[in-house]
Amino acid sequence: MRVSAETKNATRKRILEVARKQFAQRGFEATTTRDIARAAEIAAGTLFNYFPTKEAIVEYLVGDACARATEAFAAAAEGASPAGAPSTSLPADATRQGAEPTSLEEELFAHVAAILRKLKPYRKYLPAVLETAFSPVAIGPSDRQPSLRADHLETVSRIISKHGHYEALSPVALQLYWTLYTGVLAFWANDPSPRQEDTLALVDESLAMFVVWLTGAANRFETAPKRKEG
Amino acid sequence: MPSVAELIAALPEPAEEPEAREQGPLPELLAAWSLRPVPVGWFRRLRMLGTLQAKIGAAYLFHWLRGWFNDADENKRLLAETHWRTAVRVLDSMSYLRGATMKVGQTLANFPDIVPREFVETLEQLHFSAPPMHWSLLKEMVHNELGDDPENLFASFDKRAFAAASLGQVHRARLKTGEDVAVKIQYPGIARTIREDFRTLLLFLLPARLGRDWENTKEQFEDLRLRLERETDYEQEAAMLEKVRPLFREDDGIVVPRVFREHSTARVMTMERLEGVHLEAFLATGPSQELRNAFARKMLRAWYRMMFTGRLLNGDMHPGNFLFMDDGRLGVIDFGFMLQLDDTLWELFRKMDRPLTTGRRDERVAVLKEWSWMGDDPADHDRLRLSEEFADWQWQARYCGGEFDFGDEADFRRGIDLFLEMVRKRYSRSRPCTPVIARQLFGWRSMLYRLGAKVDVAPIAEEEVLSTGWDRSEYTDGKGRLGT
Repeated sequence: MRVSAETKNATRKRILEVARKQFAQRGFEATTTRDIARAAEIAAGTLFNYFPTKEAIVEYLVGDACARATEAFAAAAEGASPAGAPSTSLPADATRQGAEPTSLEEELFAHVAAILRKLKPYRKYLPAVLETAFSPVAIGPSDRQPSLRADHLETVSRIISKHGHYEALSPVALQLYWTLYTGVLAFWANDPSPRQEDTLALVDESLAMFVVWLTGAANRFETAPKRKEG
Repeated sequence: MPSVAELIAALPEPAEEPEAREQGPLPELLAAWSLRPVPVGWFRRLRMLGTLQAKIGAAYLFHWLRGWFNDADENKRLLAETHWRTAVRVLDSMSYLRGATMKVGQTLANFPDIVPREFVETLEQLHFSAPPMHWSLLKEMVHNELGDDPENLFASFDKRAFAAASLGQVHRARLKTGEDVAVKIQYPGIARTIREDFRTLLLFLLPARLGRDWENTKEQFEDLRLRLERETDYEQEAAMLEKVRPLFREDDGIVVPRVFREHSTARVMTMERLEGVHLEAFLATGPSQELRNAFARKMLRAWYRMMFTGRLLNGDMHPGNFLFMDDGRLGVIDFGFMLQLDDTLWELFRKMDRPLTTGRRDERVAVLKEWSWMGDDPADHDRLRLSEEFADWQWQARYCGGEFDFGDEADFRRGIDLFLEMVRKRYSRSRPCTPVIARQLFGWRSMLYRLGAKVDVAPIAEEEVLSTGWDRSEYTDGKGRLGT
């Protein structure tokens, strides 16, 4: 019997929903693929047709959360004024009192903050996928989905270009950013501070450091001695 | 950028400090006493500058510690110095401790008996040491602390900070119920970092129990630790605001802002916004003598009310904590460090009331002996003489009666000189609360001096002291001292 695409999608959705609940209730380590299959009312073998490992389920959940965060961030950025003007959904009188123009540092922060909010339900089991889904050499889970890294860095590149630092966007710069970002995620996953406030400080400091480096790197290009022609 | 070693080398020797400070012109001394200026022009990242400031803070800390074991023998001194150098190096090498080093340096700046003027001036800059938060970070902090975004919690929220707060910043906002509020938000994690670092620091310092002043040093540290704890916890501050606010009635013309608990946590505090200006801006308007006197009377009343009715000493008495409001009211806005008078201190304050009222020297001497545990030992004569002279300077405005000119430069300088002499001779230390009292005393005296206020203190004191319920019948008739 051929399973329709619709049924496949429904099953996939059910597996993800069930897995999310089980992870939340019992923890990632204590939940087995058998538990998930049973709760989703499918055979264990069927589960593997969809997700070869437990980690693959987490990767999918995390990837989905990141994609939603990026969409939400893009929508918020689109609704807001362009860089250099206040961006807020607050009443006009509040905005007129004058916010600082949104800086590159702030916009990068807002992007990461949007992701952390969406990833919050999966914080505890992020370490399970940090070395796979977040690896610099990871590929997307399917043809339709680019890798988490590619997707994330595309947004980062857009933000940086918008702030006029396109020329600084070298592969090294992006790798440096990615290292900081995954470092933040690893820290966050185990952050024991109240409401993970230390992670906020770490994101703030890391991005400030990155922007100082990036803009310094941009200047380096500008001030580099020009090679003589001919 | 100088290294810690270079900074330490550049520090003046302890013996030079009082002279260096004495020679300073009065405006500079005042700047030092006034502790925390109105925050202006601070809104910038301190990252690059921060490292240098942290080093100055650390160097100062080291220097301060070194001053306490001059009497110890050479070997012990060297050993202690090694310990302390390690402590300073540890602080210096760990960039995340920057907040702590800066805060420690900043708090040291608030001890008038140990800080040379030059360092107070340098450290003044450290008051606004927490990195400024941009809107996105602030939004996350509010979301973390209050469970929702500022846009949803408030009717409006000004994205730009209008003042600095303890380790954070203050924003104007309006509640959905219509009240104008000031929202204080702390930089994430900084309070905890500082408290933890302070404990680590003490671990390094404790092995060095040297010199006759160690106990005193320990007490000063305890005061410092307590101060940090209180200043960094907005919940404690909110509780204090709620304690002090009911002490004032509408006709006092003194107002303490209301706290909105449902919009407050240990890291975020929402309170009623009072519209007014700080001392500098008020003076810049060229206010009349009468207006300046009226505000000075309110400052005195606020101080007496907190002391006599609330049994509280304000250890943070500086111009940044007072607002001169357009309608003539005085706003008292910051209660980061209040000392509750225990029964022992309260009893001493009761005994002090008599010489404060009568101005009699023998009574003054008796109470000072008790305050500083001095006997009739000839070794204590000089200390007693100086303490008595200093107390007389403090108390004369009250017992003399009549209008007292707080703007008299010669008189104000005499107080500073007496105090500096006590510091130089190490007479200024006695009870653990002494630093708080010194901060408070010079805090309000310098504000009244800058106001050039002429005030009759006695009637205010007489009115306010009534709430203590002390039996004063032997020396007063209820309006003033007997026989006047």
